[in-house]
Amino acid sequence: MATMDNPKANSSRPDRVLTDVHFWVPVAVLLAGLLLLSFMH
Amino acid sequence: MTSAAQPPSSAEAQGRSRSKTLQLLGILSGFTAGAWLGAAEAPTKLVSIGISPMAISLIMVIGVFLARWSLPALILGTSSVRADVRRAPHLMIWAVLAGCLWAVANTLTILAIRDIGLSIAFPLWNSNSLLGIFWGFLFFNELRQAGWRRWTGVLGGALVMCAGATLLAIASSTQGPAGHSLRGVWAALGAGVLWGTMYIPYRKAYLTGMNPLSFVTFFTFGEVGMMSALAVGYTGLTPLWQELLGARGVIFWLMLGGFIWVIGDLFQQYAAKYVGISRGIPLSNSNQLWGLLWGIFVFGELHGRPSSTYLQVVGGSLLMMLGVAAVAFSSASGEEQARWKEAAAREARRYGVARDYVEARLDGRRAADESVYSRSVWDWLLVAAASGIFVVFAGMARVPRMGLHAGPAALLATALLLLLAISAFALWRTTRFN
Repeated sequence: MATMDNPKANSSRPDRVLTDVHFWVPVAVLLAGLLLLSFMH
Repeated sequence: MTSAAQPPSSAEAQGRSRSKTLQLLGILSGFTAGAWLGAAEAPTKLVSIGISPMAISLIMVIGVFLARWSLPALILGTSSVRADVRRAPHLMIWAVLAGCLWAVANTLTILAIRDIGLSIAFPLWNSNSLLGIFWGFLFFNELRQAGWRRWTGVLGGALVMCAGATLLAIASSTQGPAGHSLRGVWAALGAGVLWGTMYIPYRKAYLTGMNPLSFVTFFTFGEVGMMSALAVGYTGLTPLWQELLGARGVIFWLMLGGFIWVIGDLFQQYAAKYVGISRGIPLSNSNQLWGLLWGIFVFGELHGRPSSTYLQVVGGSLLMMLGVAAVAFSSASGEEQARWKEAAAREARRYGVARDYVEARLDGRRAADESVYSRSVWDWLLVAAASGIFVVFAGMARVPRMGLHAGPAALLATALLLLLAISAFALWRTTRFN
């Protein structure tokens, strides 16, 4: 029943990180920040 | 016979009382964070030689790096950090990511102040608390089923604090915009978005049970790594080195500023853990008020300014206090805390972290299968090495020749130490720094 409770139970930890929106939102904001910084300098 | 009208069991009553205590602890941590983060500006005011803002930031971050490793080693020991990482290794990624976000945001604020001045830049990047509230609501169930009264308290309080911060920034600003206004506005807004988003990793870590002391030790790798890359990238290695050599006499003051900042930030982390980012961040944003108290009473910064400036300071301070009170009196209800626990359970399921560990840590306790951590000889060596570096730079430090008001400085320092002692004792007694 592990898969019912946790659909990610069989995926590896890197997979779980890479499919987590909590990871991609900060990454996208960081990249945008670096881009902004390079435009400004 | 059981019925809805039955009085709550002793366990339920204990749970409610524990939850109320943790909320109060989070609010106290938020206040203390504001005081110490604001005081971190004081040592940097002693630095008046012309070194670049990038070098100033880098030196402060080096002080931060030393403090972020030595304080956790002193308080709990690095064995506790290692145990936390073994339980939830994925969180190291978020900690480093948060550190990188902080460094880029900090660099953007330097450019924003240069282009549009502090009075316009500060309120723009201070909007980070509003974004923190948004992410807390969207991703971590904060303010869900909170009711309109708490929504009004938190959102209204944060907005009132932004208005107060604007008045204080206008009053304390000594320079006008230096041109490139649109570019400065983008930089300030960018810093606000980066800092507001940095609270996603904070909340994720604490909902998964990580100890704030463990989180900051990895956060600092992102912070110092990104700041070094930016400083070398924008200044060049040789000019940066020359600048650091030339700044030998003030390195200690800047590193001390970083050290004080870390103490404030640790309490900010505990506030984010126990009252969530939607409440913890606005509370610790009261640092501007404390920074201004140091500026006015210790460094005589507004001396000779017109009475309208003082009116702005009084008005801004009252608004800040009003906002802080509104947020502080809007602590999470039982229903809302149940939604936090749902978000925590989701994280535990997704990353395979033991449910009892997550629940215990959320409740400020050690899990049943956790050992009692102690400090090893390596921890003491780490503390000694970090202290030694501070002592070496203190030996090189030049004592600045400037008029300081010793009385107010002693009063503010006493208030800081008192807040530190009360909050640290409350955290130790209630959670053993969990």
